Amino acid sequence: MSSVTVKIPTPLRPLTSGQAEVKVEGATVGEILQKLDAQFRGFGDRILDDGKNVKRFVNVFVNEDNIRDKEDLDTEVKAGDTISILPSIAGGL
Amino acid sequence: MITIPASLLRRVYDHTEASYPYECCGLMIGAIGENKEVHAFRTCKNLNTERAHDRYDMDPLDMLRVEREFENSPWDIIGIYHSHPDHPSRPSQTDTDRAWPAYSYVIISVQKGTVATAQSWVLNEGERKFYEEPLITGDSK
Ligand SMILES: [Zn+2]
Repeated sequence: MSSVTVKIPTPLRPLTSGQAEVKVEGATVGEILQKLDAQFRGFGDRILDDGKNVKRFVNVFVNEDNIRDKEDLDTEVKAGDTISILPSIAGGL
Repeated sequence: MITIPASLLRRVYDHTEASYPYECCGLMIGAIGENKEVHAFRTCKNLNTERAHDRYDMDPLDMLRVEREFENSPWDIIGIYHSHPDHPSRPSQTDTDRAWPAYSYVIISVQKGTVATAQSWVLNEGERKFYEEPLITGDSK
């Protein structure tokens, strides 16, 4: 098992009692997000579609890599990695 | 309420005027809380090149870079600014549809290349509606 640091963006911090980062153990991004969902009620609903995919308007990075460019939730992590959850920011006129 | 030092706000305005007639966007960094205080901002790339005159799509890599830059500081990403070329500084339907709670969304109206007005908005998630918050132009430190 690898312990990774997960960075929580401001809009999701009410779900993590205000914590900006959480340490979680797991082998893949999916496993780590499932554990966060178990730990923090409602967390999964905010970032996962039916628990299987990352929502369209959420970006998840492992270190500098967007998991969409890797193996999505199956992307493997190793000890010391940083997972960043970032809201997708867009709008217009 | 959000407080932005006048000198910072001027540089944000410079970004929006230099980008005219296209929309631009950036992140505001500072202290979280009921009363937000902006300490820095970073310009970000608008990935929507096809409709840059009326849409913005912030480059997630820019956001990642900003998060990393400030991760060991007492500050956080507290909001987003974007420009409305030749339109008022009120949120559009697209802005509301794509908004996240907690962030301040500062919208800057640029009329014929010059900043006309700026307003800050916060999403009420339950109502899916933006409410204006006071934007205070503070003294430069
Ligand atoms: Zn807008």
